[in-house]
Order: sequence, then structure tokens, then C-alpha cells
Amino acid sequence: MSRPPLRDLLAGRKVICCVGSGGVGKTTTSAALALQFAVEGKRALVLTIDPARRLANSLGLQSLGNRETRIDPALFKAAGLEPRGEMWAMMLDLKLTWDELVLRQAPSPERAQQILDNKLYQTLSTAMAGSLEYMAMEKVYEVSSSGRFDVVVLDTPPTSNALDFLHASDRMLDVLNNNAMKILLGPALKVGKIGLKFLALPTSIVLATLARFTGADFLRDLAAFMGAFEGMYEGFKDRATRVQKLLKSKDAAFVLVTSPNSLTIQEALFFHGALKENGIATAAVVVNRVQRDPRRLGGPDNAAALGEALGLAQIPDAGTPPLHERLCSTLAEQSTLADLDRREIERLERTLAGVPLFSVPRLRRDVHDLAGLWQIDSCLAE
Amino acid sequence: MSDEKHDPKDALLDRRLLVVTGKGGTGKSTLAATLAFAAARKGKRTLVCEVTARERVSELLGRPPSGTQIKELMPNLFSVHVKPREALREYALMIVKYEFLYNRVFESRLVRYFLDAAPSLAEIVMLGKVWWHATHDLERGKPRWDLVILDAPATGHGLTFLTVPEVFLKLVSEGPLARDMLGMQALLGDERRCRTCIVTLPEEMPANEAIEMHRALQKHNLPQGPMFLNGVFSKRFTPQERTAVSRGGPLLASAGEAADNHEARAELSERYEKLLREQIDVPLVQMPFLFDRTFGPASIEKLAALIGEAL
Repeated sequence: MSRPPLRDLLAGRKVICCVGSGGVGKTTTSAALALQFAVEGKRALVLTIDPARRLANSLGLQSLGNRETRIDPALFKAAGLEPRGEMWAMMLDLKLTWDELVLRQAPSPERAQQILDNKLYQTLSTAMAGSLEYMAMEKVYEVSSSGRFDVVVLDTPPTSNALDFLHASDRMLDVLNNNAMKILLGPALKVGKIGLKFLALPTSIVLATLARFTGADFLRDLAAFMGAFEGMYEGFKDRATRVQKLLKSKDAAFVLVTSPNSLTIQEALFFHGALKENGIATAAVVVNRVQRDPRRLGGPDNAAALGEALGLAQIPDAGTPPLHERLCSTLAEQSTLADLDRREIERLERTLAGVPLFSVPRLRRDVHDLAGLWQIDSCLAE
Repeated sequence: MSDEKHDPKDALLDRRLLVVTGKGGTGKSTLAATLAFAAARKGKRTLVCEVTARERVSELLGRPPSGTQIKELMPNLFSVHVKPREALREYALMIVKYEFLYNRVFESRLVRYFLDAAPSLAEIVMLGKVWWHATHDLERGKPRWDLVILDAPATGHGLTFLTVPEVFLKLVSEGPLARDMLGMQALLGDERRCRTCIVTLPEEMPANEAIEMHRALQKHNLPQGPMFLNGVFSKRFTPQERTAVSRGGPLLASAGEAADNHEARAELSERYEKLLREQIDVPLVQMPFLFDRTFGPASIEKLAALIGEAL
């Protein structure tokens, strides 16, 4: 493979978004990238949503409060590493990020409190479509423009759909500033209470029908929710536009993370297509947990020859079934897994023609400390 | 495969609704298909409801996607893809009864708005459809389905899905939606009629999420069936054999690495099996890793035979 190591491909970028479906090792890849940058002398922050507990614990991360935590230099020493820069990590707290945003954007503390107290806000702010994705990008924008870090690596939320990720801000903003809903709830927005009988007829039919499903209370709460955000929309929109601009600029790079499983590869390809449609190039694709082919080491793979090899090495061919048979079937199984992975990676390479691909072999142990992350970095450096 | 004894009266497949959940990629659809296969073989008329973005069960059983209309995949086994918009339409029409009024009120922008603003609404209507099939779908006065299997969204999201009636009842307390949500909540909480099964893998993140999900379900009083540990490797070599072969020279190099890889994964399987048994209060059923080149109906049949006695 003639392609530069991953760090060269990402050199000079300020924001790196690791995207892909859940369970493919996105968090590990993101942390490994941040470690790589730190070792090379950068101030690198990895922003993650839900890291494996052992990884978080071993890095000394706090699970609460959106706090940037510096990874203790002593941990690097213990892993035999001497970073010239700094590695930082932060876990995104969705509710807190929302609250901070409301407090910052609200025209007055009273208005902010009014929103924070709203029953719908409390239940739905964290569940609203695109909410997690939007807040993750919001946080990236905030830390990356603060100048405290040279590079921010975002471990994106496990989104079921790539488009959800890219259009998160549009969808969120539409929810907060939907014209159809404003017209519908207009009178309620003004009075703060729905008086069905005072409404114009067509609107009242619509509202009355909706109310049959949800009850009038719900619609009143919804009106109060939208009303509370009134006037804050421009601020939200302005910020969202700047986030979008950053993600599409040369300062940002997207790394597609996947596993060699056909379903996750399909998802990765879909992601790639969605990025492309939005004018964003995939900087690299990382395939985690690839089965190494034991046959690359040579030696016989049929039962009779394995039996002879055992004899030559004076290893007792005992047990039921005998050792040579167990070795033979194990070798066949592991080779099957390697074949399946190879087939999937070839498909990925064909479809992503031109995108540099990095394959990280399945490691013997779960990766849960700096030494493990560094092992991944060495695969990405090849 | 399970080492816990089951009271035959407590057979898992004798429920009206089984919910399968777990972290993404752990094999939810595989388990849903396996349970459905086992039930259908026992003569139960079974319906699988898939609520995730992409249908998988039909594919696993070697059939074309069912789409939003119920299709028969094999004798006694049916499946349907439940999508929010279609489910909302069906549900709304049951209450509004007039197409023109539906179109007026639920014209696409408004529906889209509500589904965006409150994805839980999408979840309610999808859960509502599953609930309806499990309790109200009658044929000549008798339930049309002996068993409904819900292939639920991944954990995290899965818990949101199952607790959506509880959460929404706090916001909406009147009207037909509230009434039906009470019905859904009652079904999900009734251990005679319903069980939720978590499927997980012998890996750190999936195992921890499974434990968290298990506790969350307990907290919300949602009765559980056994937990399924998928992709299990069993030990095959003694430590002496493993060392001897790895030092056996170039002729045994590839076989040695294969044996080593196998044992490393078997060790992980053992570690997480132990961890799960320590942390959970339901039986643990192990599903072996299958080395099938193509994972299809034959694989599902194999798994159904292997876990059959635990059901």
C-alpha cells in the first residue's frame, strides 16, 4: 500500500471527527489519535460521548461535568511514553451542554430560568432529534475556537444515520423555529394558554384533533416551550452556521471508522456518500479488529501434516479429539474469519477508491490504557 | 446450553410478547430470528416486529424484506417492518377515523415536525403497533398471534424505547394516547405476558452496557427473560498444549497462532461470562460463535437447536 501514515494525512487539521456506526471502536481510535498528536508535541483534546469504563478509569477521566481533564503525565511514563505535548480528554454531558447553551443565549437570566424549568425542555431537550449531534458539534466549536488546544478529536455519537449527523443543526433549529407550528400555536404562544374556542376555524379543527391525541395540556406546554425560545433563534442559527463552516473548511478532517463486518461497512459506505454529498471529503478510513490470517506464517494446514509436525516437535498428540485435529479445525476457522474480513475490506477499498485505508488487527486484549492505544497508533503509523 | 434449570411452566416462549434488546452489533436480530424460529417450530404462530432503520430478520431467514405489510417467512413465522410514519398513520386513523381529517391534521410537515421534536412520539406509535398485535389483533375472536417478538432498538436508545410510555404519561395524561400508553406499560410490566431479553457479547463495552441495561430494566419493573451471551468461544487447548505448539517451530507457526487466537478469545468469553453471572439476577444462556461463511437460515436453525432447551 502506497499511502502516507495517518498522522501525515491529518497534519495541520484543528478538528478531527471520527464517524461511523456504534461498536466499531470509534472511541478507541479517537483516543489513539489524540495520544499520537500529544506524543508529537501538540496540545490535543479528545472529546468523547460514552467511553468504555475501563478506558475512562485508566485515563483518570471524570464522568461528570463537561470538564477538560489532562491525562496525568505519570501515566505516560508508566506506558513507556514521553509526550512532547499534552493529552486532554473530556466527556460530553448532553444535558449540561444544553443548559449552558440556554444560559449563554438567553436574553435574560429570567428567560433562561423559564426555559430550564419547562417540563418539555427537561424531558425533550436531550431526546430531540439531532440534539446529541448538535451539542457535540457545539462543544467542538467552543473548545476549538478557545485556542486552548492545537487539535480537537471528536468521537461522534453513534448515529444510526449519517445524514442525521450532518443535518443535526438544521433539524434542531427547525424544531425550535417551525413556522407551521408557530402559526398553529400562535394564539397560544401569545396568550400562553390555549383557548380553543377563540381560534379561527381551520386552526381550531387542527388543534382540536391534535388535542384529542395529546390532551390540551401537552399543547400548552409545547407552546410555552417554543415561546421561551422566541428571539434566541438567531443566536442559535448564527452559531450553527459557523459550526458548519468549520466542519467544511480545511481545518477539519473526517475519519471514517468501521469494523470488517458487512453491516458496519455498509453503514460506513453510506456515511462516506453522505459526506461527499455535503462537499466533505473522507480523509481516511480506519478498519478496526481485523483478523490476521494465520496462514501468512506458513506451515501445513491439513490434519495429517499437522500430526506429523507434532511428531517432529515431540508434542504428544493427545486429547479428544486428538490435538492435530483440534489444531486443524481451529486453523480452518481462523482462516475463514480472515477470508471474510479480507473480502469485506476489499469491497470497502473498491468502493472508496482513493481514500487511504488503515487496518488495525484484532488485538489479544481489550484496549483500555495508554499502552494499548499506543499499540493502535503503531498500526496507524504503518 | 444454559446450566440453570427452568420451570417448564415458566417457558420463555409462552409469553405474548418478547422484547429483544442489546448494544448495536451484539446480535439482536440474530436472537430475534432464533427465538422466532424456535417458537414457529413448536407450532406457535409468531410475528417478528422490526423497528430499527433496516430490516434484518427476513434477510437472516433467506427471504426478501417484508416491508410494512406482514409477510410469511416460513410456516408459522411472519415478520413486519414497523416504521414511524406508517405506524402513526395507522394509529391516527384508528382514532380520527376520517381520512380527510387525518390528511388535514397530519399533513407531512406537521408529522415531520412532531417526529423531530419528540422522537419519543415515533417510539410510542411503533410500540403501540407492537402492543396492538400482541393484545388486540384478533382473528375470529381469537388472538391472531401466539407470540410477538420485538426486535427493539439498541440499548441506551432501547431503554428510552421501553420506558417511553412511562415518560410520556408524565407529559400527556388524557386522551386515547394516554389510555393506550397505560395498556402498553401494563403489558411490558406483566411477567406472565411479556419478557425483555438482553443480548450481549464477551467484550467490555457490550458486557457493561448489558449489566447497566439489566439494572435499568429492574429499576423500571420490566420483567426479564434470560440474558443471551452471543459469540462465545469455548476453550479447546490445555495451557501445556498451547505453550508446546507455540514453541513447535515453523511447521506449527500458523496452527500455533490460530490456537493462540482461539484461546485468547475463549479467555475473554470466560471472563465476561463470569462477570455477567456475578452481576445479573437472570439466567445466562450462551450462544456459540459460528464460523459460517454465510450467515443465513442454516445458522439460525443451528442456533435454535443449541439454545432450544433453555427456552
